[in-house]
Amino acid sequence: MSRASQLILNVYLIVFFLYLFLPLGVVALAAFNAYPYPSVTQWQGFTVHWFAALAQDSRILTGLWHSVLIGLGVIAVSLPLGLSGAFLLSHLQSRWNTVLYSVLVSPILIPGILLGVSTLIFWGSLGFGAGLVTAILAQSSFIASYAMLLFLARLQRQDPTLEDAALDLGASNLRVFWRITLPFLRPTVLTAAVLAFLQSIENYNTTVFAIGADWTLVTEIGSRFRFGLSPVINVIGVVFILITVAAATAYVLVRHHELRRSHAR
Amino acid sequence: MNSLIATYGRPLSALFLLLTALWAVGLIALPQAVMIERSLWVEERDTSVELRINALYSSLELKRFDLADAKSEARKTQVAEQIATLEAEIKTLEARESAPRKVYTLSNYTRMSSLHFTIFLKTIAYALCVTALSLMVCYPVAYAVAHLAPPTRAALMMLGLIVPYAINELLRVYAWLMILDYQGVVNTLLAWMGLVDFEARTWIPFLESSGSVFVAMVYTYILFMVFPIYNTLETLDHNQIEAGRDLGAPTWRIHQRIVIPHAKPGIAVGCLMTFMLSAGSYSVPQVITRGKAGDWFSQLIYRQFFESFNWNVGAAYSFTLLATCIGFIVLMMRLFKVGIRDIAK
Amino acid sequence: MTVAAALAHGKDVDLQGAAMRFGGFQAVAPTDLLIHAGEFFSILGPSGCGKTTILRMISGFLQPTDGRVLIGGQDMKGVGPNKRPTALIFQNLALFPLMSVWENVAFGLEARGVARGERKRRAQALLELVALGDQGDKRPSELSGGQRQRVAIARALAVEPAVLLLDEPLSALDLKLRQHMRAELRAIQRKIGITFVYITHDQGEALTMSDRIAVMNQGVIEQVDAADVLYNQPRTAFVATFVGEHNTVPGTLGATHDGVCRIDTPLGPLHALNPHALTPGSPALLFVRPERMRLLNGATKPPANAFEATLHRRDLEGAFLHLHLEAAGQSLVVHQTNTGTVPAPGTHRLGFEPDEARVLPPGALAHE
Repeated sequence: MSRASQLILNVYLIVFFLYLFLPLGVVALAAFNAYPYPSVTQWQGFTVHWFAALAQDSRILTGLWHSVLIGLGVIAVSLPLGLSGAFLLSHLQSRWNTVLYSVLVSPILIPGILLGVSTLIFWGSLGFGAGLVTAILAQSSFIASYAMLLFLARLQRQDPTLEDAALDLGASNLRVFWRITLPFLRPTVLTAAVLAFLQSIENYNTTVFAIGADWTLVTEIGSRFRFGLSPVINVIGVVFILITVAAATAYVLVRHHELRRSHAR
Repeated sequence: MNSLIATYGRPLSALFLLLTALWAVGLIALPQAVMIERSLWVEERDTSVELRINALYSSLELKRFDLADAKSEARKTQVAEQIATLEAEIKTLEARESAPRKVYTLSNYTRMSSLHFTIFLKTIAYALCVTALSLMVCYPVAYAVAHLAPPTRAALMMLGLIVPYAINELLRVYAWLMILDYQGVVNTLLAWMGLVDFEARTWIPFLESSGSVFVAMVYTYILFMVFPIYNTLETLDHNQIEAGRDLGAPTWRIHQRIVIPHAKPGIAVGCLMTFMLSAGSYSVPQVITRGKAGDWFSQLIYRQFFESFNWNVGAAYSFTLLATCIGFIVLMMRLFKVGIRDIAK
Repeated sequence: MTVAAALAHGKDVDLQGAAMRFGGFQAVAPTDLLIHAGEFFSILGPSGCGKTTILRMISGFLQPTDGRVLIGGQDMKGVGPNKRPTALIFQNLALFPLMSVWENVAFGLEARGVARGERKRRAQALLELVALGDQGDKRPSELSGGQRQRVAIARALAVEPAVLLLDEPLSALDLKLRQHMRAELRAIQRKIGITFVYITHDQGEALTMSDRIAVMNQGVIEQVDAADVLYNQPRTAFVATFVGEHNTVPGTLGATHDGVCRIDTPLGPLHALNPHALTPGSPALLFVRPERMRLLNGATKPPANAFEATLHRRDLEGAFLHLHLEAAGQSLVVHQTNTGTVPAPGTHRLGFEPDEARVLPPGALAHE
């Protein structure tokens, strides 16, 4: 690559990453501004007042509690579903496999609001009012698809002779599952649980349709944009950014380490 | 299926089958089907029944006067009987009225107003633009991270991509709200340059334009384009690129003949995700316009459900969006010659 | 040896018309085969010949589509792999990577509900049998190839099988280790006396270890015999060419006297044994092993079959000389011991005795 094109590429990358991070910087900075409307330009002095205000905001705290409840519910629903789907798909050998696969990944490929809407209508027609339960069901319909893809990828790397060997040594089907299959899947179960929880907490488009009059942390933030915009939102932003940076750094470090190790071999 | 039973036995296999069926049917197929069914009927109230009930109520009032005026006992019983008949008739008619008839019709679709249809077209057009722009911006970035950067720098860039990707969607939109607000970052810069005056409220109302929704959408969904492309490019053996260069191919031809064909599934998935997210985005127009600019299609759907309480029309609009997205998926799969299997991960 | 004493006696394995069909593909033709109790039995054949399918029918992972499988006289129909008195050693060994070595060995006992202390004691005894007494707490990945091999054996023996099934378990090892493990496997089999059914495509393995060998090709068992019989008296063209090397010369049969027939070949009329009593006029193949042919330079008493051939390549393989010759368009190979002199290229006289060669009906040959 010539020096000129290398330079152009580097400038391009720098501009791109500035584009990604400067807006987030604006959000974070405004959290420390004493001005009561979120702003970085009307600077009225540094404050941590808004952090204290957040700690007293009962609607937001309730929303957070709802988010955690929904997140745990989504883990409990989507992991068994995703795991079952992955088992079926990895053993089903006919054209039905592609049909089932298409159905099970479809929630990833259609807009989230439609999952919310269809859940609302379907469970409403069964007499379920919109609320936390419908939010769990709506989110699980697509989060289970992500979990299934994770499990499917892991199962494809499984050595099928291990299960055969266990059977041959006299293990019952249940013992094979419990002692061989599940331990092999354990890291993926953990990953899938964490991802399901994070996706659940973050979700807005599906949840806002399915949750009705109830609210989560994120739908509460969404409604604050209309009414009652204050730097408290920015404080939440700062917390989100800190958690994300920490988690992403850990992830990248682990991945980088693994890559190094596989290159060393 | 037989291999599943052979390995895990009948009870566990049945459990897997049951759970998958619950998911595929109960959480995916049935809700969509019920939504589509819902979009295909309207509730019709019979107006003639209403008139007849009103007429009956007036004659009932008259009879009651008669009853009060009645002199003889015989007259009283006669009028009382007439009243009872009238009341019974009113009761049956009212029962018919309160259970409106369910009529299957396409009118939920065909009665979409031209305003709403324009909004639908605008939403889809902007989603296509977001997709195209994201593809152009992201391809060089994904390629740089996967093949050009030394390992440590690549890891850092990866971190730089993951962090904004993982941060809540609403907060990403919110950042642009703060930038484009009436007294936001951009208007303040303009004020410093003396181009607008806050006192005179001559700021530029970015938030009231579709353009700002577009800008925020690109920012919010652009990373859904990077990762699929990066994932496929990462599996491309770098020696292939070197070999192409060694054989004297210019950079653009290496991309045209080696890199892009390899990245095709990733490009297809990236386009699918970006388009789907933009076309179905509720958060971006909701946060950015704050009700001060025209609706987007997702907001129309929301209104049908939670403001007009017209779920049937809402369902019809939802299905319109669903069909558009499915059409786009099929189109991309044909265009890039990829199967549904390539869309994993 | 207490462990050996604890093991059940071997049982016989009886295939009665057992066959396996996958869709339209006949993987194993209807097969009758009796493997005796306590025997070291090998099934030898090229990859894809159906030998692994037979093994999986015996172990219970496959149910024969026709016929039946009996173990120790009991019909195994409907009996799953976890209920059969067999244990299988997989080609890739299939050691459980997340369990320690002793947990691997004890897994079959765990499945049978044996208490942990007892499990550990018996696993330890088995690990000592395979000379891994001090490796029990390691993970399989920390062991060498040969050690992993022995863990797999110990794990299979722990369930006290009457029949041990081995699916090319040595194929991943290097040559030296493989030769060592052959001797070790044979010794273990002798010591515990159970039936071994050994699948391999490596004739060296089959010939050195087995009591009897079945040679299999395209789903059909072509011959079942002891190693020396198989080598010296192959009954089909495939067995003749798959087991050891053979020179093959096509021809037409003439008359047979006292088991020795005349066959008209491009090399002229030759004489050979006719074990199938083929009738005159039928097409046939003449097989003669490279080490049974010799150059007749100055031989005092020439053999009954003799002809001229051109020597064009000489490969010295240490103790042996491999001579590549050609006669009447036929390629021939002669192996002779290295006596210090190498024959010069050019025309030589070549010959063999009639009882060193066999005439067999034409059929599929094994191609390297």
